[in-house]
Amino acid sequence: MSPAGGAPGGGAEATGAGPTGAAEITLAFDQATVNLDALQRSAYAVAAEMTVDIRVTGADYVCTLFPRRQDIAGDELRHRFRAEVNDQILRVRIAKETEPLRNLVFALAFSQTGLVEVEAEGSA
Amino acid sequence: MKLERAATALPRHGWQLLPLRFHRIDADSVVLTNLVGEHVFVTPDELSAVVDGTCTDQELLARLRAAHLIQVPGETLPAELLAIKLRTRMRRLPDSTGLHIFVVTLRCEHTCRYCQVSRQSAAKNEFDMTEQTARRALELAFRSPSPHLKIEFQGGEPLLNFPLVRWITAEANRMNEEHGKELAFVIATNLALLDEEILGFCAEEQIHISTSLDGPQDLHNGNRRRPGRDSWQQAVAGIRRVQERLGKDRVSALMTTTEASLDRAAEIIDTYAELGLRGVFLRPISPYGFALRGRGGANYDVDRWLEFYAAGLDQIVELNRQGVPMVEMYASIIAKKMLTNADPGYVDLTSPAGIGIGALVYNYDGDIYASDEGRMLAEMGDRTFRLGTVHDSSYADIMLSDALLNPLTESITLSAPMCATCAFEPYCGADPVFHHATMGDFTGHKALSAFCRRNMGVFTLLLRKMRDDRYFRDLLWRWAQ
Repeated sequence: MSPAGGAPGGGAEATGAGPTGAAEITLAFDQATVNLDALQRSAYAVAAEMTVDIRVTGADYVCTLFPRRQDIAGDELRHRFRAEVNDQILRVRIAKETEPLRNLVFALAFSQTGLVEVEAEGSA
Repeated sequence: MKLERAATALPRHGWQLLPLRFHRIDADSVVLTNLVGEHVFVTPDELSAVVDGTCTDQELLARLRAAHLIQVPGETLPAELLAIKLRTRMRRLPDSTGLHIFVVTLRCEHTCRYCQVSRQSAAKNEFDMTEQTARRALELAFRSPSPHLKIEFQGGEPLLNFPLVRWITAEANRMNEEHGKELAFVIATNLALLDEEILGFCAEEQIHISTSLDGPQDLHNGNRRRPGRDSWQQAVAGIRRVQERLGKDRVSALMTTTEASLDRAAEIIDTYAELGLRGVFLRPISPYGFALRGRGGANYDVDRWLEFYAAGLDQIVELNRQGVPMVEMYASIIAKKMLTNADPGYVDLTSPAGIGIGALVYNYDGDIYASDEGRMLAEMGDRTFRLGTVHDSSYADIMLSDALLNPLTESITLSAPMCATCAFEPYCGADPVFHHATMGDFTGHKALSAFCRRNMGVFTLLLRKMRDDRYFRDLLWRWAQ
């Protein structure tokens, strides 16, 4: 099934029972709007509740969610994963946008520790 | 006023983001933190508008700018200030190692249900540290670049080898005449063996006493067993004697949470208050040693401990409201990290981790460990955190050993998955010993980590309470000083 729109997380369908007996859930994300890094970070972050298989199908990343417990409703799992993906997209975006400033702050912080001068003297 | 506002007003897209991280506190509230942990609460919509560059709320933009979460393009001061604060937070690193733990004996007359150490019977002297081992350990301790050295005597029960405690103290003072460091001593004792001679010695040497008190008598004696079933009575009598002889602030106590403690948070706090103790450290049980046995007291999960912690914190706040000064020690450590640029250097909440560079442990037999928990793992047969031995390791051998550097470098939170993008990273720490013990690697999978779940729970609780309760916010500020 294709995603419904440009927002992350479009179409979803139950595709059968996973190893815990709970229904697996499939979500498709448009590669034009969601990057793989955000999906992989999301899969890592929700590991206590579900495991996630990510595959490329056409223009989509297709994520199959395997709940760790039977008592989690499918809708709850979908919302949980979509919300996590949205947050990870935002985090990736902020990190990319602020990376030069972050590097500058760390460079400034550690350039005045005295360690650089010691190294320079030692290597001279 | 209008002119000033117009002069500083930021147009749409008129700012740029500084490095920031966020965490959703609840449905209506998100906390943003900068590189050094300064924080601002916003709504989810405000977060989106700020990141998208469409925010027009000048009051919010001013708050974000003041907290170094955004800046006007071309500004250099925010980066410089953040760098200074970052360097201030990390200034402890070149001064490693401040805490040196001497396990002067493994002997103990208690048989605590959760004991993390392989205690030995009180008669087996072969588990005592010798003067030769202690001297070599002191030589290594004084190699530390730290201008402050704290020597902590542990066991077993260290007072069972009191002659060596006395000898090490004298020898350390003698060696310090050459080094000129700020020297402090702590005895971690159950107080059952306290007598006039020991009290006099502690008074003379200005030694701090750290003891264990699990709460009310029945709870404490159920956890901490000794012949006569009078551990609580001995501890309470000892605390009072130390307070009278040495002063109120020269004795502190630690509690350990067992499943029997979980419904009794208020009683535990009240026991401390009745004894005039001004601090309580609400500690979960550690996943090491005898605690892991069926009857070791560790039969509860993180969420249940967090309920206990919240109840205990409420009781402490209530006592403060009534005029009884009392501090929850874990919250005060976190408050320092949240609200100041000081790093209290608490071993479990630092990154790089506090093992080795924050504390070194010299076991009775001369083996050196990166932390007390590392020694406990060794007692269980896992010597991963053994750095060497005082008998044939140099200071460089210890501090540059793979056994120390590998866990330090692999667990740094600024690069660990999930930690690197976590809003609470500046408050938290790497705990490679815990993650090695519970998950088999130094970094740990944080989505599955009890350490992560517990600390996320505590940080979120403290932030919520600060947001919603002005009295609590002011109290936490006081604890941070």
